[in-house]
Amino acid sequence: MVAELKYEISQNAYIKLVLHTLKHKTTAVNGILLGRVNPQNDSVVEITDSVPLFHSNLALLPSLEIALIMIEEHYGSKGLGIVGYFHANERFDDAELGIVAKNIGDHICRYFPQAAMFLLDNKKLEALPMGKDQSPVMQLYIRDASKNWKLAGPDGGSRFVIKEPAANAVLSDYISSEKWQDVVDFDDHLDDIKKDWLNPELFK
Amino acid sequence: MVSKTEETQLNRLENQVDNGGGGAWEYLCLVRKLKVRRSEKVLKYGLSILNDPKKRSALGPEEWTLYEQVAIAAMDCQCLNVAKDCIKALLKKFPESKRVGRLDGMLLEAKGSWAEAEKAYSSLLEDNPLDQVIHKRKVAMAKAQGNISGAIESLNKYLEIFMADHDAWRELAEIYVSLQMYKQAAFCYEELILSQPTVPLYHLAYADVLYTLGGLENLQTSKKYYASTIDLTGGKNTRALLGVCLCTSAIGQVSKGKNKEDKESPELQSLAAKALEKEYRQKADDKLGLLTSALRSLKI
Repeated sequence: MVAELKYEISQNAYIKLVLHTLKHKTTAVNGILLGRVNPQNDSVVEITDSVPLFHSNLALLPSLEIALIMIEEHYGSKGLGIVGYFHANERFDDAELGIVAKNIGDHICRYFPQAAMFLLDNKKLEALPMGKDQSPVMQLYIRDASKNWKLAGPDGGSRFVIKEPAANAVLSDYISSEKWQDVVDFDDHLDDIKKDWLNPELFK
Repeated sequence: MVSKTEETQLNRLENQVDNGGGGAWEYLCLVRKLKVRRSEKVLKYGLSILNDPKKRSALGPEEWTLYEQVAIAAMDCQCLNVAKDCIKALLKKFPESKRVGRLDGMLLEAKGSWAEAEKAYSSLLEDNPLDQVIHKRKVAMAKAQGNISGAIESLNKYLEIFMADHDAWRELAEIYVSLQMYKQAAFCYEELILSQPTVPLYHLAYADVLYTLGGLENLQTSKKYYASTIDLTGGKNTRALLGVCLCTSAIGQVSKGKNKEDKESPELQSLAAKALEKEYRQKADDKLGLLTSALRSLKI
């Protein structure tokens, strides 16, 4: 019953993805969300980590395929799987979930049928430093029974939460200190394999 | 388009300036030469020179080039007042200048006044119909307003006249890819490879597009272009090495059960795999395990 699922994202997974979008303000970016169904409550999907993927040519397959193989392998050994996909559009006023995102989302659903998609909400991100809003700066999209991606309805606010309530305050701090410069994505790794897409030092 | 050595040089200079080691003017010149987009830094360091009368006069006639560079960087960072001031200074010095007129047009763009910018550019084009920069600003405006099909149309028209503009071909290819119009993107990369056959980036991009298109013939060609990329980059390009492995695996899957007349020699793939393992062992040791199991899963 996909309609009843709740998605809870950890602060680090959330912040990592948003910082990634800020590092590449002029292009579309995407990322993968890792996690599992909550063992004590199977109507909640816990998103415990994220991997920023690409900031160029998101619609080309080779790098995506390699990234998914490696990500699955790494997190699989920790009992975690791919549970969602994150996308940020190139333009500020583009709030549509595009065809590329939908196709990748469909592919992710083969790994995890209840996978959800998250689209960066640019207006919310812009308003972030000014408000006390604790809700994530992303929109939740779920696949309905006919496999179409739909924006989670008005109750979407309660279906997608950040585990740590102060996450947006922490994010605002990081934005002021330009922490996005430290984020490494899979594109960076492929250009220079010394760069680690796991970002182990990011939140230390 | 910037090579790895050029990028390293630029980053080194940038770090030096960031850490108070001087060299701001050198950095700004290099950014200009390489045509990279580092607007926040350009704005910061450019302004620090322009706002210091001693430093400014030390530039001599280059002062005006800096005004232009800072104006554009300011617009990119949405610091429109700074941009306006720079343009005012330039107008004072060069009152009839078309080049400054272009900046005026860009300022209108930055404000989102699309119709006015369109008018400004059209009038500039009347006097100089072959101004490439303005033609491309019109494409950029279409893209910024979300009119992607308009951008494609304008860019195609532009390329009919200025077919040697490699950046424009690349931009068109990337727009096509973003719309999943891979065949059209492939055509653009073919044009680029024809005119600049020794630039590995085009071979790599072409191979990526062909792989995405799929089908036996495309996969076989894709493998050839990953191989030529490896050749042109002295075997150091991770994406190309991985590409060879991906192609071999995909070709194997597609031709399963079919009568393989030309047997794929496994040498290329095993050489690529060995090169990758060596690279990872040296530079990304902790990821070596992931690489080997990825390669194993590809050898289906």
